[in-house]
Amino acid sequence: MRDSIAPSGIDPASPSLSARLRELADYLAAPTAGRLTEEQRALSLGIARRLTVELAARLDPAIDGAALWHDWLRGGLPAADRLAAPCFARAEEHRWRAQSALRESPPPVEADGVDAVPAGAPLSPADRARLTLHIADRRRGDALGNPCLASADLDPEVFRALLLDIAAWRLGALADDGAQAADLGETVRALIAAQAGERGIDAAARDYHDALADEGGVAEAAAAAIAGHDWPALIALAAAAHRRRYGDMALALLTAEAAALPSLLAPLRLDRAALAPLEASLARLSGRALAGCWLDDAVPEGGA
Amino acid sequence: MSERIIHGRIDRSGALVSADDPLLRLQQRAGAGLEKPLALPQLARLVALAQRLQRDISRPLYAADDHSDIHALVRVLPDAEGASLEISDWRARPTRQPLAPALPEAAASPRGWTWECDAQLRLVALRAGTEAVPTPTDWEARSLSELFELLPDDDGRFAVLRALARQAGFEGQRARAEGPAGPRAMELAGEPLFDAAARFTGFRGTALPTGKAEAAETAPTLSDPAFGSLPLSDPAFGRRIDGALRGPLSRIIATAETISGQFDGPIRADYARYAGDIAHAGRHLLGLVDDLADLQNIERPGFRAARDEIDLGDLARRAVGLLGMKAEEKGIRIDAPRTDDRAPAWGEFRRVLQVLLNLLGNAIRYSPEHSQIWIRIDRDGDRATVTVADQGQGLSAEQQGVIFEKFERLGRTDSGGSGLGLYIARRLARAMDGDLVIDSAPGQGARFTLSLPARDEE
Repeated sequence: MRDSIAPSGIDPASPSLSARLRELADYLAAPTAGRLTEEQRALSLGIARRLTVELAARLDPAIDGAALWHDWLRGGLPAADRLAAPCFARAEEHRWRAQSALRESPPPVEADGVDAVPAGAPLSPADRARLTLHIADRRRGDALGNPCLASADLDPEVFRALLLDIAAWRLGALADDGAQAADLGETVRALIAAQAGERGIDAAARDYHDALADEGGVAEAAAAAIAGHDWPALIALAAAAHRRRYGDMALALLTAEAAALPSLLAPLRLDRAALAPLEASLARLSGRALAGCWLDDAVPEGGA
Repeated sequence: MSERIIHGRIDRSGALVSADDPLLRLQQRAGAGLEKPLALPQLARLVALAQRLQRDISRPLYAADDHSDIHALVRVLPDAEGASLEISDWRARPTRQPLAPALPEAAASPRGWTWECDAQLRLVALRAGTEAVPTPTDWEARSLSELFELLPDDDGRFAVLRALARQAGFEGQRARAEGPAGPRAMELAGEPLFDAAARFTGFRGTALPTGKAEAAETAPTLSDPAFGSLPLSDPAFGRRIDGALRGPLSRIIATAETISGQFDGPIRADYARYAGDIAHAGRHLLGLVDDLADLQNIERPGFRAARDEIDLGDLARRAVGLLGMKAEEKGIRIDAPRTDDRAPAWGEFRRVLQVLLNLLGNAIRYSPEHSQIWIRIDRDGDRATVTVADQGQGLSAEQQGVIFEKFERLGRTDSGGSGLGLYIARRLARAMDGDLVIDSAPGQGARFTLSLPARDEE
């Protein structure tokens, strides 16, 4: 994995004997269980680091993000339990999308979609909402395309906990500077208030779904999203249809067994044939976790 | 395409007895064919397993030939006579490594921006490097060519447009972007993006500064045969408009009026009417050219009007003299200041006359026939004022709030104005340390008052 800011910290294993023994104990407790791949760990940790460094900079530009992360790597992330699900969901979504980005054939020279909507033409409400969703989605990546979590998309409790953890680390570095501590507290409150007003991918997903619903085009758009491997659009539509958060729906889809997909996507009214590329794409994702168990390549999947 | 289902049929002996084209080709490339045992080992094992278990099995299929690696999802449906195959999401495995960010890390300079746009070149992502100037705050969904003023290369071509047509990558696209310290010269590079169905979905790339802010000022600009290389902000642009547009428009108007007036002999009445319409539209366009040239001039940074010794009474009477005929055509009577009424003031003579002509012209245009217009001059402390009042339909408070905005025509769609006149008039008044205000109510006409610094005569 490449990263623009600092090493992910994955490579050097913890030198602590107790940590090694804990890890071994976990392994011995379930020797046949599948475990996170290095790629999944690196992606998840990278996502957590980018989020931490970004929030630290917003909390106080004077915070040394690299030093903070270094400390947390050594001692463990304080909000590890809370961060695990969103980071893993984003990491798995990224792996899935990266896999789908591998395309079937070289692109045609003649454009068949470029002129479909002339540049500058007024957008329909659904197209406008689609564009907004696209923009919200791109906020979930850094300048190089590495996956990130946008603060607007975080669960408010996770956001708050992470801010408080960073503030606590900063307070430790500030020693007894009461004035700066007060400022930090004020900034935390301001950031929490600001996050409540931010419109992230959940709002964009709802708007997109509602705009399509007004036109009666949800099923068609969902089928097109599957055919084009436009997974963010599919996740957004499914999330909005279920009134769930985007990240939750991404994880639900990514960990769904093939037999569960039709019911999971039932609100989108897709026929079975339309689901085939989705099923195939998920089946190809190596090291994929399934809800409730670990995918075992030895077990035939999707047998009906 | 990926959504197509590819079918095949295996008999009890494991031979492929029928197959859609992609599957048959793969079988042939593996050295077999129809009525031959399935030559794809993984698929053959799946078929055997399904037949043994007598249950449907769905599994990913990975197959390789000398051209590509094939990925697909295969469903095997066993029956008493063999098995049916349904293969979906058939696609080749490309050679690129997955998860590589689309942008090489080295390309994203800390001094530059990274961006991504959709197939219509609307920006969906824009980020500044750690040492870069901040990006504009309103970039979302703006056109790439709107955010970046694209500049042609030495051959007069635009790399990004060529890349768009070819759906290929590009580099070396010179551009200029507005920044807090003025325009900055930048160079754009981008890679095309495609979805899983190989449809072009946009570009992703970098915008790297090529010099300091001043460098952008000297960068070559888009050259146009009519306007040369002048940007809109250049004062000479307005003068070029005269040469490029005023001449042709004047000829159109003159010719149309000749036809409309049937000076060269009688023509059909409807043709004469059409020619009259053309002349009318031409005059409107000419007025718009005037307004745009004015607009360009007065919005120039540092624009100041001259400070002449003027008399608002005299200027009001001149305006009436110029537009009196037009008023008479509608039977409108103008109550102008008497010849001995004076309101000495400071202001630029021709600009004040321009404002008064605009106010009086509007009053005539929007007054009912056989109504009256009053022009009054006055002095209020250190201000000299001239008020133009009409008996038109008047303006609501909401309309009064927007009437001085650029291109505001209050929903009127007739060809009587560009929507720039009052905006320009107020800008001119303020450039002369004065102001232009309106007092009106629906059904009670409108009163526009121009105030300027009063001048004490010795």
